[in-house]
Amino acid sequence: MNNRTKWISSKIRMGWMFLATGIIVAIMGIFAELQFAYLPYNFRIITGLGILLGGIGVGYLVRYRAALKDEQSAMRLNVEERDERTVLIRTRAGNRAYWVSTALIYLGLMWVSFAANGSLPALTGNTLWFFLAVGVLIPFGVYITSILVDQRNI
Amino acid sequence: MKNRLEEFRIRNGWTQQELADRVEVSRQTIISLEGGRYNPSILLAFRLARLFELQIEDLFLYTEEEEHHE
Repeated sequence: MNNRTKWISSKIRMGWMFLATGIIVAIMGIFAELQFAYLPYNFRIITGLGILLGGIGVGYLVRYRAALKDEQSAMRLNVEERDERTVLIRTRAGNRAYWVSTALIYLGLMWVSFAANGSLPALTGNTLWFFLAVGVLIPFGVYITSILVDQRNI
Repeated sequence: MKNRLEEFRIRNGWTQQELADRVEVSRQTIISLEGGRYNPSILLAFRLARLFELQIEDLFLYTEEEEHHE
């Protein structure tokens, strides 16, 4: 087994790990939703996280299992992941997402500070939930958009 | 930064993918380099220059004005 095959095997193992964790988390979410429906907590978030992890696992498996059969595509996949332009694009996207995330957290902090003295409505219940959801989704959107834009421009 | 990558690649009769495989980068990186949209790291510049048996400055054409525009 050469280094490249070892590298692909480790990625496949990671894929199985993501898939298994995703299934377990999703089942736990569904179970909790059925058993503890009386609790004031939305267990769908746990199920959703499980589905997301499982999806990542499937993505890994599809990508790397195909490469295991063909030495040429294994080499290209390995090169693609270490490619300096790709790394640059991902780093720039991560940097942008980080600053957007920091700005959103700061905005939330300012809102809470003003809400404490009654100048703004308090972030509670659904409003807080949506604010936090936006705080996760917007940086993720910025990350993906940045990658797409830089792939075209660089 | 301007470069003569495409010229030397064609002179050697290589496709973009073949050149990419030889220096272990993606084909898209070669396309960006040839289009002048991406400046390589010093390591990649050395790898490319060695591959074509050239000095870096024969392959990549540095001008001070360009640096001020970046």
